Amino acid sequence: MIEALGLSKRYGDVLAVDDVSFRAEAGEVVGFLGPNGAGKTTTMRLLTGFLPATEGTVRIAGHDIFEAPGLARRAIGYLPETPPLYPEMQVQSYLRYVARLKDVPRKRLRDAVERAMERTGLGELRRRSIGQLSKGFRQRVGIAQALVHEPEVLILDEPSVGLDPIQMREIRQLLRELADSGRDGAGQTIVLSTHLLGEVEAICCRVILLHAGRKVLDQPLSELTRDGGSLEDVFTRHTLREPLAAEAEAEGA
Amino acid sequence: MRHIPAIAGRELRAWFVSPVAWVVLVLFALLSGFFFLMQVRLFQEVLSYYQQIQQLEALRSVTLNNFLLFGYYQTIWLVLLFLTPALTMGLFTSEKINGTQELLLTSPITFWELVLGKYLAAVAMVTLLLLLLALQTATLFVFGNPEFWQTAAGLLGLWLVGLGYAAVGCFASSITKSPLIAFFLCFSILLLLFLLGQIASIGMAATAGAPAAHWLTDALRWLSSDRHFEALLRGLLDTRSITYFVFLIAFFLVLTRGVVESARWR
Ligand SMILES: Nc1ncnc2c1ncn2[C@@H]1O[C@H](COP(=O)(O)OP(=O)(O)O)[C@@H](O)[C@H]1O
Ligand SMILES: [Mg+2]
Repeated sequence: MIEALGLSKRYGDVLAVDDVSFRAEAGEVVGFLGPNGAGKTTTMRLLTGFLPATEGTVRIAGHDIFEAPGLARRAIGYLPETPPLYPEMQVQSYLRYVARLKDVPRKRLRDAVERAMERTGLGELRRRSIGQLSKGFRQRVGIAQALVHEPEVLILDEPSVGLDPIQMREIRQLLRELADSGRDGAGQTIVLSTHLLGEVEAICCRVILLHAGRKVLDQPLSELTRDGGSLEDVFTRHTLREPLAAEAEAEGA
Repeated sequence: MRHIPAIAGRELRAWFVSPVAWVVLVLFALLSGFFFLMQVRLFQEVLSYYQQIQQLEALRSVTLNNFLLFGYYQTIWLVLLFLTPALTMGLFTSEKINGTQELLLTSPITFWELVLGKYLAAVAMVTLLLLLLALQTATLFVFGNPEFWQTAAGLLGLWLVGLGYAAVGCFASSITKSPLIAFFLCFSILLLLFLLGQIASIGMAATAGAPAAHWLTDALRWLSSDRHFEALLRGLLDTRSITYFVFLIAFFLVLTRGVVESARWR
């Protein structure tokens, strides 16, 4: 479960995130949608506690990210915009290292690493150096490190960016599986960011549209496309409109 | 503190996989071997010269410890002055280049675990170098009779100097993204620390002993590393010198932790 209350982030004069609040429950897959520069990455960095918010609070699985960082961070799996990989390490030992950082008990290390490799289809490549992998496989290793400690919350920043269509389909398939396995019991909350509409349609059950740092829309996918219009129409309507109109809309929502 | 072994272990493995560790080890072995032979030759020449001119008093002061080993350890100090920055320059810069600081700073580890894990890896490498040196020194016991305790104390002193330099290297690597800048920054700080005593002396002469200047030069002299490590290299385990290096290590590690923490506020 994620609870964000009144999140703002200011970089000098730039207000990168402007008063964003939302809640995501266990089993939900929420898509952060927005053009480049909308504030998706910054919001995710605030959620994970990588950056301190200028204003607002974040609770992960009930723990405040700054008051109880140990508990909150243990509950987060995070794929940053650039996957945090050590090129000289082998896939398996890298995942083992991450699992140790995330406090997976010693006895369960081997199983946790095996399971993460299995779910991301990396079993065959366990002994390969990460630096020798293709971009698609590096992205998988990035996702595997986010999953390895089976966190309650998954935060994925553009998980399919830079992949070819086949790799993209595989990653989406994987995310859908994660979401489904989450719904029946394990209860993972997944937040992913993307600027691709197709991705949201393929895997999310809810959309949060960000524009110039503000949340301009927050609706279940089914409601959005109910009245016949495609998601693309909704997207262009909200992102190309005059900022003032978008603001009024946000206030009304 | 339970994450420290994982962090230190990864760092060490990275050094040995990318050949940094091997380069440093081989370079150190070659340089120290070369300087060792040079020092042995010099020692023999000085001995035979004093014998020729019948300077018995001087002859007695030229011992294995006071002449050969002290001179040898001084050249090793020079080697450490270059190798420590080379070893430590990647400690934090590589995390920034790989983007892995985003993993570290969102994991349930503390800043101290991160800094101490990295520092411990550097400590392990310095210790390995000093073990190589101890091996070379040990050959002297086969051919001559150096004072055991003085020799051991000299090695221990050199080790302490290396640990101090590694802490400076940690700090230099934490404040920049470029390994090259980290190298030169560390090297400059080490050189400055070494030269503070000289700077103090020049200042003393210039101000002709005003009381405030006295206080300042005394402080600079204490901060200067040259006297402290000279004593240590001679095998004098002086408490003041040990305190100095312990202080140096603590100071730069605290500074490093501060820098790592402040990185997220930028
Ligand atoms: N470290 C930073 N310093 C200054 N401005 C930044 C920084 N990171 C992001 N920004 C600015 O914040 C805004 C949002 O960026 P970002 O969160 O990366 O958007 P997105 O991920 O949606 O593309 C942009 O205008 C960007 O220029
Ligand atoms: Mg982004």
